Amino acid sequence: MIAVLAGYAAWVVFPMLWVAYSSLKADAAIFRDAFALPLAGDLHPENYTRAWHEARFGDYFFNSVLVTATSVALIVALGAMAAYALARFYHPAGRAVFWLFLAGLMIPAQLAVIPLFFELRSLGLLNSRAGLILVYTANGLPFAIFVLAGFFRSLPRTLYEAAVIDGCGEFAAFWRVLLPLAKPGLVTVAIFQFIGVWKEYFFAFMLVSGDLEGRARTLPLGLANLSITAQYRSDYGMLFAGIVLVTIPILLVYLLLQRQIVKGIATGALKG
Amino acid sequence: MAKVVIESLTKVYPEKTGPGVRAVNAIDLTVEDREFMVLVGPSGCGKSTTLRMIAGLEEISAGTIAIDGRVVNQVLPKDRDIAMVFQNYALYPHMSVYDNLAFGLKMRNFPKPEIDARVREAAALLGLDQLLDRRPKALSGGQRQRVAVGRAIVRKPKVFLFDEPLSNLDAKMRVSTRTEISKLHARLGATMIYVTHDQVEAMTMGDRICVMKDGDIMQVAEPLTLYNHPENLFVAGFIGSPPMNFFSGTLRRTDRRIEFVEAREPAREAAPNGSNPLSLPLPEELARRGAGCIDQPVVLGIRPEHVHDALTTTGADPARTAEVRIEVAEPMGAETYLYLSTGVTNFVARVRPTDRFEVNQRIKVHFDLDHAHLFDPVTGRVLK
Repeated sequence: MIAVLAGYAAWVVFPMLWVAYSSLKADAAIFRDAFALPLAGDLHPENYTRAWHEARFGDYFFNSVLVTATSVALIVALGAMAAYALARFYHPAGRAVFWLFLAGLMIPAQLAVIPLFFELRSLGLLNSRAGLILVYTANGLPFAIFVLAGFFRSLPRTLYEAAVIDGCGEFAAFWRVLLPLAKPGLVTVAIFQFIGVWKEYFFAFMLVSGDLEGRARTLPLGLANLSITAQYRSDYGMLFAGIVLVTIPILLVYLLLQRQIVKGIATGALKG
Repeated sequence: MAKVVIESLTKVYPEKTGPGVRAVNAIDLTVEDREFMVLVGPSGCGKSTTLRMIAGLEEISAGTIAIDGRVVNQVLPKDRDIAMVFQNYALYPHMSVYDNLAFGLKMRNFPKPEIDARVREAAALLGLDQLLDRRPKALSGGQRQRVAVGRAIVRKPKVFLFDEPLSNLDAKMRVSTRTEISKLHARLGATMIYVTHDQVEAMTMGDRICVMKDGDIMQVAEPLTLYNHPENLFVAGFIGSPPMNFFSGTLRRTDRRIEFVEAREPAREAAPNGSNPLSLPLPEELARRGAGCIDQPVVLGIRPEHVHDALTTTGADPARTAEVRIEVAEPMGAETYLYLSTGVTNFVARVRPTDRFEVNQRIKVHFDLDHAHLFDPVTGRVLK
């Protein structure tokens, strides 16, 4: 059993390690022996600086951080408020709104990409970070509302009543009492959306690849671009360095928040 | 501190079809300043709904609630100057005990030193001093309950509302907390309205008790008045444990007296043990009350402590004695409950714990009718 698991782990981990150590090799070394470890005297950390500057990963990294951070913040903030309202108050239209959001979860957004493209173009938001943020936020909200509405429904109603008697208005009751209690849900949503947005390629490719000054392109786009050009220039060292740069933040999130991620998956499954 | 005046208060929960469910039915109730009023009744009687309307958590369908002379129907809960203790305590799980206590004051923008002073005062009063840094999760049930009470105390509200605050505690804790809340009431001298389904809590804590059933008030009175002079069958049966015994029958006028004759139940007539319906001459006062109902069906109510073992009762009137069968004997220690049967009606007697009784034994019991009541079986009202 352990042997099987160890074998599987090696199977999964090796390609990542291979990319990581190959990113320090020169192209010639990669071609000489693709799987050999880099020689101590022949390390090429300049692969990273070249990826950062030549392939403009510096710009893309900044774009990615900005787009991801803003989108996730908006998704969590708007999602929490919408979910709270839908879970807490009864309104005849509430159910319809909730189902509308759920429909957003079930229909692949890719189906809407052509109208979306024209919509953004007429808004003048093509090839801009703002346009991308808007699309990612809208795309992430259904999941956030789905998870958080479940969280808010599970909180006892008397907590809200106690807050109201203690002197809270509607917003204070939400902000000071119920929102802090939904923190596990907020963290779950934030992590999942972070990972989803950080590595998102399809919408970025459709909506911002026309940007040539590096003011909107995100890392996945840059990476794809690099992999295409690297094939012809045969600059594999730089390509691997780029892959490592893209992977590091996700790896960090996993390492730091491992427990919440697993808990979040389980909670999401139960709260549905 | 304040008086609460409730007039024609009604709560109707709308239904998809039909007129809706009337949870509270045009009730009138006045809770005096500094009074401890208990609302008691079986579940679904409207007591919690009434309390929640006073708190402002439930909309009022009709009628008015006035606190301290001001009608509060349209006033938000936070502006009614009330505090409430919930059945599940509703402590804020993400705050320490200190912050739980301070929250209501913070939201009302009290200056920090005043908040601190009040929180520490309440904590000392309730023995929570050592627990101020803890989260609710790390507290026992009794401690959580005290924090919930403390959260109400610090605010020094006009009216305290309690919604079955003891029902999540174990039996022992419940008794000690009950006395603590009573002491607190004496100490704070505040108006308190307390909802419970437990008639023992109601009897022991209330200055006055309001008994409710199906959205109506059945009787409002001091505990012993309620116990000794119930206005109707419901109150008579609800207050007291074991409850009052009821016998269905008719009143007959014999030469000089009025007699209560227990109705024979046709179905039981052929019972193998043979039924032995009661036939009891009424004492003067009870006869006077029943005089208007001769030959009409009535219900005779008598508490278990007024049914005695005839052998050990001195001066028992033989005419008010009957032979009955013991079905179960329950020794409670301080007394013994005998579950008896006349063959028609099952009833309970509280007798001395030192005497020994056998199941199926036939014994003579004496009915102390000076403490009995007569009820109209149709309206349920006591005959006066």
